[in-house]
Amino acid sequence: MSRAPLPEWLVSTLDQQEPAAPGEIHTTARVQVVEWGLPTLRDEEWRWTNLRALTRPLPKPQQTATPEGSGLNAILPQAIFIRFAGGKLVECPGELPDGLRLTPLREADLDQRAAAFAPKAVTPNDALLALNTATAAEGLIIDIAANADIKPPIVLEFLDAPSETAAQTRVLVRCGPHSRATLIETATGADGVTSWRNSVLVAALAANSQLTHLSLGLDGDARLLTDRSFVTLARDARYRSINIQLGGQLVRREIDVNITDTGAHCDLFGLMMPRAKQVLDTHTRLTHGAAHTTSDERYQVIADESGRGIFKGRILVAQDAQKIEAYQSSRNLLLSDSAEIDTKPELEIYADDVKCSHGATIGRLDDEALYYLQSRGISTANARKLLIAGFAQEIVDLLVTPELVEWMGGIISRRLERQNAQ
Amino acid sequence: MTEQHITEQQEIEHLMQREYKYGFTTDIEQDIIPPGLNEDVIRLISAKKNEPEFLLEWRLKAYRHWLTMTPPTWAHVHYPPIDYQALSYYAAPKTADELAEIEASKPQSLDEVDPKLLETYEKLGIPLHERAVLAGVVQPSNVAVDAVFDSVSVTTTFKAKLAEAGVIFCSFSEAVHNHPDLIKKYLGTVVPAGDNYYAALNSAVFSDGSFVFVPKGVRCPMELSTYFRINAKNTGQFERTLIVAEEGAHVSYLEGCTAPQRDENQLHAAVVELVALDDATIKYSTVQNWYPGDEEGKGGIYNFVTKRGDARGARSKITWTQVEAGSAITWKYPSCILRGDDSVGEFYSVAVSNNYQQVDSGTKMIHLGKRTRSTIVSKSISAGHSQNAYRGLVHIAKSADDARNYTQCDALLIGDRNGAHTFPYIEAKNSTAQIEHEATTSKISDDQIFYLQSRGISEENATNMIVNGFCKEVFNELPMEFAVEAQALLAVSLEGSVG
Repeated sequence: MSRAPLPEWLVSTLDQQEPAAPGEIHTTARVQVVEWGLPTLRDEEWRWTNLRALTRPLPKPQQTATPEGSGLNAILPQAIFIRFAGGKLVECPGELPDGLRLTPLREADLDQRAAAFAPKAVTPNDALLALNTATAAEGLIIDIAANADIKPPIVLEFLDAPSETAAQTRVLVRCGPHSRATLIETATGADGVTSWRNSVLVAALAANSQLTHLSLGLDGDARLLTDRSFVTLARDARYRSINIQLGGQLVRREIDVNITDTGAHCDLFGLMMPRAKQVLDTHTRLTHGAAHTTSDERYQVIADESGRGIFKGRILVAQDAQKIEAYQSSRNLLLSDSAEIDTKPELEIYADDVKCSHGATIGRLDDEALYYLQSRGISTANARKLLIAGFAQEIVDLLVTPELVEWMGGIISRRLERQNAQ
Repeated sequence: MTEQHITEQQEIEHLMQREYKYGFTTDIEQDIIPPGLNEDVIRLISAKKNEPEFLLEWRLKAYRHWLTMTPPTWAHVHYPPIDYQALSYYAAPKTADELAEIEASKPQSLDEVDPKLLETYEKLGIPLHERAVLAGVVQPSNVAVDAVFDSVSVTTTFKAKLAEAGVIFCSFSEAVHNHPDLIKKYLGTVVPAGDNYYAALNSAVFSDGSFVFVPKGVRCPMELSTYFRINAKNTGQFERTLIVAEEGAHVSYLEGCTAPQRDENQLHAAVVELVALDDATIKYSTVQNWYPGDEEGKGGIYNFVTKRGDARGARSKITWTQVEAGSAITWKYPSCILRGDDSVGEFYSVAVSNNYQQVDSGTKMIHLGKRTRSTIVSKSISAGHSQNAYRGLVHIAKSADDARNYTQCDALLIGDRNGAHTFPYIEAKNSTAQIEHEATTSKISDDQIFYLQSRGISEENATNMIVNGFCKEVFNELPMEFAVEAQALLAVSLEGSVG
């Protein structure tokens, strides 16, 4: 077997806390995770991403101070902020708009917990999912009532505080029929502080509901994040995911979207900017399980220094799911010879009346564009910065509000400037 | 339902019931080693072929390595496990027991040739004059044929003309005896003995194949061609082809196959190695039409092939062109290792699948040298209940400055019970690389069919026209005689899938 046995230090975390998963689900996962161990480069799903960092215990925390938040509260003062520190729910507002209910996982009833732990692994021997199911004790259930239009964004701030153990969190979002909401997940940590979060988010979108889901990986150059989202769309539901990853030494996100009924639409947009020795990886799997559904997927990687960017996106059209339109593009900028970009856009199609296409490109900055800018008196460094920022902006512009677009654009441009100064 | 519709329906039903055109068996006495695989069988194969010691050692090493391996499971194909002990690993026509005997027993006129053999050629559609040439009775024209009848080359033609140019074109066994140094130098240098499960199996038990050597500066005066046939029941066919083009040499090689109809699945695990030195060009074209199994997916050939070209020299070029229409399962990735600076790799493919056929095919372009370029054009057409997957790798190594790749994968779906898949792996480690990949999946639009039908063209013909247009980019790359054959093959393969 290509599996590495589950490291001792992880085995020892298995029974530390009272697990939130209901009895049988927990027992199965507990057995599976030990049996499967951690995936290695020989696993097809992990051929580009090495989990070596998890084979040894995480370094003992040198710093105890809780890192600062994302800074989003200044941009979105009206938003509903929920904070996790080191995987523990530390802040959850009591006053909420009508139609929104938040239940900490610890206080959730059996039905809620069963729903939160319902999704089954899509890939074989998914040890990280099993690990989460076996050990997650903290998390949140977000219920959006039917017809509710939750105007303020719901922000989940994950402050990755130093810890010797992995933070295992589980979040369930249930969008009632005809409801509408925006969910923002942010991940931040202090530079140089190693922490690991292994999280799972489950979203169920009822008929005609809309969910915009932003996942923003910000500061913290030593953070480890393994995260997955399971999303199901009912009839006419709309889901939009925007995944921007800037920080972290290793970030692996898996987004599974299952379109189960007609009329639904899904957008998957992403931007990853690895540099230094960062490994930023996103795998998306989108299943068109019903006829007359559409999807649009756009992923961009900008890899510099010794950074590695990985994108694998699968679009599956099930048998009899006719009249599908699915577009997928993976466009990548490779800026350094030590950097690496790996991309695998996949189409798996079992129906014939479909329009599906994908495109992938890997290249460098356009020499002509650089020359044009230089001929206008712009320095090489600034010209490069302009072009890179412009490329990134294509995804940033999709963020929901002008404030967010400006804020994120600023973060990226400061980051590029820092790089130039070095 | 209109009357016209009914006749059309009948026509389609009639077409659907049409049997595999090339399904037949020839009764020729065969010399078969009993089924099973162990070191003794390998020694026996080697002894029967009177091989030098180094080759036997090489086979045994490959076999021992094979024992430690497991069959690959990553491909998008499904089949029951193969019992390798139930297969027979060597079959040769009685007349070919000894290679010397072949030479001695070469017929002087067509009358002396086994009539059954001629019958086989006739059903294969080999032109009359070529049939005579195969038997060595008429002066050669411009296509050289090395016919592989089951496992041992029955006849090799055009030798004289090729020898004049300095080109060596012979069966692998002959090459082992006559040019052991070349075999020793190049065998296994592109596809190592333990490369993958099926390549290791082939290395251990390979029966025969073709060997081509084009010396420095020589442009091979004709297209070289091999017809492969699988003929004996329960015999796996393990061909091994090695083509070497020295500096500045140029060679075009054609490989075509058809196979008799039978119920039991047959395994074919071939290995093809190409070596192109500085400024050399190798063009390798395949039309594959092995028995694909019946309408229920029963029977058919398992085609598990390892094909790889090493563009070793600067400015060398390797082109793979393939039309894959047959086989129950195709597992095949003709690849190019672009080692030399400025070397070029090309892959043009049409893969057609119907009924219950399964295809998992594509290419690998490994860019190592500077300014290396590769082009991939893959067209797949799936009909019936078939599954057709493109799986490809484009790898730009750190050393490959200014490498360039263009990939286009288009899939055409006919019917709603089949699948078309694309699994491209793209890896770039050099910032000067430029890689483009695009893929589309669609069906033939009703508008197009309607337009053609309104011009009096039947639905079947309209489909054929559109399909041929869809594949044109690839057909253009085929040598003349193959291009015509390929179009006919496509029409036959898709028979009964429209409507």
